[in-house]
Amino acid sequence: MNGSDFAFLLPEIVLVATAITVWAVDFFTPRDRKPDLAWPAAAGALVAMAFLAISWGEHREMFLGTLRLDNFSLFFRFLFLTVAFFVIVGSPGYVRRKLRNAGEFYGLILMSTVGAMGIVSSREFLTAYISLELVAFGFYVLVSHARHEARSNEAGAKYLILGAFSSGLLLFGISLIFGATGSTGYAAIAAALETTPDFGMVWTLGVALVLAGLGFKVAAFPFHSWAPDVYEGAPLPITAFLSVGSKAAGFAFLIRLFAEGLFPVLDDWRVAIGVVAVLTMTFGNLVAIQQANLKRLLAYSSIAQAGYILVGVATLNADTTSGMLLHIAGYTATNLGAFLVVIYFHNLTGKEGIDDLRGLYRRSFLLTLVLAVSLLSLAGMPLFAGFMTKFYLFTAAAASQLWWLIALAVANSILSVYYYLLVLRQAFITPESEEEEQRPAFRLPSHARATLSLLMVLVLWIGIYPSVFVDAAEAGSRALFGG
Amino acid sequence: MIEAIPLDHVVLVATTLFGIGLYGVLSRRNAVAILMAIELMLNAVNINFIAFSMYVSPDPTVGQIIAVFVITVAAAEVALGLAIVLQIFRNKSNINVDDLDLLRW
Repeated sequence: MNGSDFAFLLPEIVLVATAITVWAVDFFTPRDRKPDLAWPAAAGALVAMAFLAISWGEHREMFLGTLRLDNFSLFFRFLFLTVAFFVIVGSPGYVRRKLRNAGEFYGLILMSTVGAMGIVSSREFLTAYISLELVAFGFYVLVSHARHEARSNEAGAKYLILGAFSSGLLLFGISLIFGATGSTGYAAIAAALETTPDFGMVWTLGVALVLAGLGFKVAAFPFHSWAPDVYEGAPLPITAFLSVGSKAAGFAFLIRLFAEGLFPVLDDWRVAIGVVAVLTMTFGNLVAIQQANLKRLLAYSSIAQAGYILVGVATLNADTTSGMLLHIAGYTATNLGAFLVVIYFHNLTGKEGIDDLRGLYRRSFLLTLVLAVSLLSLAGMPLFAGFMTKFYLFTAAAASQLWWLIALAVANSILSVYYYLLVLRQAFITPESEEEEQRPAFRLPSHARATLSLLMVLVLWIGIYPSVFVDAAEAGSRALFGG
Repeated sequence: MIEAIPLDHVVLVATTLFGIGLYGVLSRRNAVAILMAIELMLNAVNINFIAFSMYVSPDPTVGQIIAVFVITVAAAEVALGLAIVLQIFRNKSNINVDDLDLLRW
């Protein structure tokens, strides 16, 4: 560790500085101008992205080995900054209509992003835990940010109670692992496992509790129950942020933990994680079919997507890791696209039911197009990101010979097509009533058109010509597995 | 010289405390009581860390440092939790979690 190492943490430093600046400027901004603080906050995320470029290919241990900046963390840090950028850029219209303390809102998004960037770099339990809580605390406030809406309060309370509860499980698990191996560093744990392959019940219980705690964070069955409620009650941009940012952070934690710490015992857990994966995706898909609210449908669909990614965790190796990274990237772009459509639609109509989408194709071609691309990609249709990334992930996972797992994952993927198409039928086919036909076409602000188009291009790019993304994902997985 | 308390006993106490906290979270209906039960779980974690760091860890300070961090995080968590509960109370004059039913659980 020396002074120049701080250069590699510049993205995080820039984000914290931007957040504090936004909070400070917020005090001196008249109320009707506050939503515009989104632009400096988004600019901060872009500047941080530029600073990330200098750590490409660098592998650095920092702070006594608690942080490791490598291509794996670089991949996720870039992903989180992208997410933060799109969430912030997508939210001013919503913030103007619903929220009061806009500066606080944008600053907390940046702070949660810093936490997520810490998780992916840390290779030690305490550092990872503190980063995880930094993410979660930001989210607790953000979810309940519509202070005078009972639904937002309720979502915040549920998220906080279940989030704190899951942290308790996670920490107790960590303490047992610490008790068994005498260390909280992933590398030291792996080394201890090499000499003593079996620590008995304390160890097993510890790993099980850690998995349960992280299962909550990524909303895996049977720890998913908070997700639909919190997704529905939270302000829409935060739902978007939760469904991609917080989920990706949880998976990054899991992947690094298993790759660097628990890899020697992974075989004991493969089947258990595989069963959780199958239950998660099946449950998510089956319940999603019955939803009438678009937000809730996307919540259950994101539970199902977590199940697909867990297939990669169950069959963890270098190839499935790059598959998971690729899938997480594709899912992020896709889900952000879908949620931005919901946000803009909600800004214009105040509604979020699936029925309300009737006649959408007449009222806004762009919204319909992006919605169609996103949902078809989530459903895993060829040409779109979802197909390419799932194909890559499942093919890599097939090498593990857990055939039942792959078969059920593919079956689930086909099942999910049904409810995504139900939504599209409302947007495209279901006729409007005469009264509804009188409704005027939507006028989207130009920045909304730009972000929507950008995300759509990204989804198609990953779906049709993914080599850049595959290279990045493989570089990320090589950082963990060598070679 | 007094003999030290054996590790098993300490861990047994911690596990029991964790169990009580777990039971509290699952059975209590008052949001503040649930937050208190979560505190019990986190304190069980602290006892575990301190005991293990004394008996198992090559470096006896590690567990103690973690315990300090956990205490800090727990304090922040409760502050946030109470703020949200207070807001619910302002809107509904009630903090029974069974009445948080606008969103289906």
